[in-house]
Amino acid sequence: MSTAEKKQGLGKVFMNGILDENPTFRLVLGTCPTLATTTSATNGFGMGLSVTFVLLCSNIVISLLRKFIPDKVRIPSFIVVIAAFVTILKLLLQAYVPSLYSSLGIFLPLIVVNCIILARAEAFASKHPVVESAVDGLGMGLGFTIALTLIGAIREILGSGSIFGINIFGASFEPMLILVLASGGFLSYGILLGIINAITNRNRKAKLEKGEN
Amino acid sequence: MSLILSSAPHIRTHNTTTRLMGNVLIALAPCVAAGVYFFGLRAALVLAVSTASAVLAEFVWQKLAHQKVRISDLSAAVTGLLIGLIVSPTVPWWTVMIGSFFAIIVVKQLFGGVGDNFLNPALAARAVLLASWPTRLTSHPAVGFSADAVSAATPLASMKGISLNDLLLGHVGGAIGETCKIAILVGLAYLLITRTISWRIPVFTVASAFLFNLVVSGSLNDSLTCILSGGLLFGAVFMATDYATSPMQSYAQMIYSVLIGIITVVIRKWGVYPEGVTYAILIANIVAPLLDRFIPQKIYGVIGKKKEVKA
Amino acid sequence: MKGTFRGGVHPSHKSKDPTKGVKTREYVSDTVKIIMNMNIGAPAKPCVKKGDQVRVGQVIGEAQGFMSVPVHASVSGTVLAVEPIPYLTEAPSMAITIQNDFKDEWVELHPLGDVEHVDPKLVIPAIQNAGICGMGGACFPTHVKLSLKPDQKCDTIIVNGAECETHLTADHRLMLENSKRIVDGLRAVMRALDVKNGVIAIEDNKADAIAAMKEASFGRQGVTVKSLRTKYPQGGEKQLIEAITGRQVPSGGLPIQVNVVVLNVGTCAAIADAIIDGKPLISRITTITGCVRNPSNLRLRIGTLVEDLIGECGGFSEEAGKIVFGGAMTGLPIPNTAVPIAKATNGVVVYNKHDGASVEEGPCIRCGKCVSVCPIGLNPFQIKAAADADDLEKCKALHVMDCILCGSCSFDCPSRRWLTASFKNAKQKITLQAKKAAAAQQGGTAK
Repeated sequence: MSTAEKKQGLGKVFMNGILDENPTFRLVLGTCPTLATTTSATNGFGMGLSVTFVLLCSNIVISLLRKFIPDKVRIPSFIVVIAAFVTILKLLLQAYVPSLYSSLGIFLPLIVVNCIILARAEAFASKHPVVESAVDGLGMGLGFTIALTLIGAIREILGSGSIFGINIFGASFEPMLILVLASGGFLSYGILLGIINAITNRNRKAKLEKGEN
Repeated sequence: MSLILSSAPHIRTHNTTTRLMGNVLIALAPCVAAGVYFFGLRAALVLAVSTASAVLAEFVWQKLAHQKVRISDLSAAVTGLLIGLIVSPTVPWWTVMIGSFFAIIVVKQLFGGVGDNFLNPALAARAVLLASWPTRLTSHPAVGFSADAVSAATPLASMKGISLNDLLLGHVGGAIGETCKIAILVGLAYLLITRTISWRIPVFTVASAFLFNLVVSGSLNDSLTCILSGGLLFGAVFMATDYATSPMQSYAQMIYSVLIGIITVVIRKWGVYPEGVTYAILIANIVAPLLDRFIPQKIYGVIGKKKEVKA
Repeated sequence: MKGTFRGGVHPSHKSKDPTKGVKTREYVSDTVKIIMNMNIGAPAKPCVKKGDQVRVGQVIGEAQGFMSVPVHASVSGTVLAVEPIPYLTEAPSMAITIQNDFKDEWVELHPLGDVEHVDPKLVIPAIQNAGICGMGGACFPTHVKLSLKPDQKCDTIIVNGAECETHLTADHRLMLENSKRIVDGLRAVMRALDVKNGVIAIEDNKADAIAAMKEASFGRQGVTVKSLRTKYPQGGEKQLIEAITGRQVPSGGLPIQVNVVVLNVGTCAAIADAIIDGKPLISRITTITGCVRNPSNLRLRIGTLVEDLIGECGGFSEEAGKIVFGGAMTGLPIPNTAVPIAKATNGVVVYNKHDGASVEEGPCIRCGKCVSVCPIGLNPFQIKAAADADDLEKCKALHVMDCILCGSCSFDCPSRRWLTASFKNAKQKITLQAKKAAAAQQGGTAK
């Protein structure tokens, strides 16, 4: 494999996580933190970055250890690795970004059982070399971050009238409270999923038609 | 000479979807009149905005989705009018507009349009509005005063001291269409005479709420107040009977109605909300398809066959 | 209490049926085309050829096996053609065209005498030889219905005079004009099957017919007249049995399983003719109504062409859009006016372009009206969804095979959905599938 081809392959792996297999919008994984932590753009962004950090680190470590972990105990081993990084992350956030730490609450330790991280460990990192695994972790993490920030932004704009904590509509705006409640999470996630599905379906159709012609 | 070859039956009923929905609109007319009489032009504005925006939402959606525009079947108009009737007359116009858009686009059209929605669009819209702007929705003007001057917290929260007579006539605060029970009963009579709905759902809903309340409170007066106050009667007549979201078989309809009656009383007595009809009907809506599926139908000759086999 | 059933509809009878009070007239046309497969079961085989002279009542089509009845010449004259013609069925039907010589020469008849004294053993063969099959619409060979297996018992015979179909008054007129013959036919069958109980069931909107039948059955052993609530499909076999006896025919079963036999009033009269006069079934009363100038009930020879009988009724009053054999609820549309009537054609209804136009289907609003009117208790809207998705297994699980195709659900649907049509289609597909499966199995075992 030439370096150019390899680079292209890595780029594909990276973009895969952001677009074609976006964990939130295409794979519909990790929906629990998606719904719970997207009450504002900041929270969504923070959660996304946290997951990216853990995903990147755990993918690298698991990929390095992939030849030594016996098949029978691989899931517990993955969990141990992931839990270690989550603990590191938790302590770091608590020390340096206490506001984000408190608003993410229980969903921070719950990253241990986040299915995206476990799925990438199982499906990718345990079968691929280190560099590819790292790029995959980064791509998936960024895809997750983008999705969460998008949902968070929409919910924050309509539900609290602000974006990243900055008020944008002025005092006379009466925000639609439901969007920052749990039911609003379901509503906005569902509608966004629908829109993205509609767009991808249309693109696929257009591609097919082009191919036929 | 070419003759038309179409399958039997060769005659059809005069009833059409448009006519049925029109019947509902006519049945709502007394409530509209009572609402405008008690709450003034402000109520009329709310109703006009809610209806118009529901129809507009349906039109725009069907145009954008390249579907056949079916606003002439009046189902969107019914939904819009219902939304207007179940909100407080002091609600700002943009709130009801958002409610109508939500009902038509999210609840109705996203699930496949008329007949395919799994929740009552008007009630789902009310639940969303209630969660989004709770104070806007729950401040009801007391009747007879200037709407801006006095606003009671909720009619149910300040129930003491209101006579049954006032409740019946509608001399209480509340949503535009829900206060005058006489008007609702006139509408019910019209719906029953035109066979637009069956008697089962309204009767069983109100009766079960009354009996359950009687068992719980032990007071006849309290139980009468229970069925005459809030949105129970309006919900039982116009909301629970929504075609798409109520069961079709008679036994399933009875269980569905009893469910609404009981959940309403449970929410009112022990819940944090003063009013529970909206949620009671929404919960029952979700159960309705299950009821239709799991309550065995009596099919001609099928049960007899099983007996024969056993014998 | 008047007998009735669950569900059902009230199709609007546009004012009063114009044919109700008009006396039946006899009409004989120049030529007749007699179809060979009028009955359910095997079609008859033509036994005359072009140029033959035939007399009235002469056998021109021989029965093929037990599930078949012979076909008789309905006029005397010359055979013009023996050829397949387009009919209501998909494939063309064999038909014998006879030029009427208007001499009305009958073959030699063999009357069996009075119904109260005829040898009961001779009744069923006489019915078979007279070519009688159910005249209410289905045309099931009557002798098959009456030939009970050793383990079958019949305790009630119901004569169906409900005539619940819209527009039609043929049975009504027959009950008024030929009441005695109907009772005679019933008595003959009762004696043949040794049944003590015979019920003539009539909807309560035909008070004069009830009175006439009561008078005719006065003093006849075991015969009673019962009035039924006027509701469609009161004349459906299953609904009638439930209304009269309170019994339900098991799903997929026949009325005899609940010890009942149902006969149409026309069939009864034909049975009486066959026994008392020895005459085979060569004519019947048919209602001609709708867009014709002079709607009437005509006693027609079997094989009369639609164009001839419409001419007899004064021609079309408006441009015809659709012509239907039978009533508005279950009738079959005919492709052109060169089609002849058969033994079971109880009505010819002409619709104008507007009323006959095929309606456009709207979306289901789940009003549940179809569920509440279904006389069987099915969920038509669910079956329709399964049928549209071509999911035959689901259709079966939803009991589509129990559907009697009465049309009540389609009639009452505010969205004008083609419920009955899709059920008919699904039933045909399922039957075909079962036949194929059976054939495949047989082939397998033969090998």
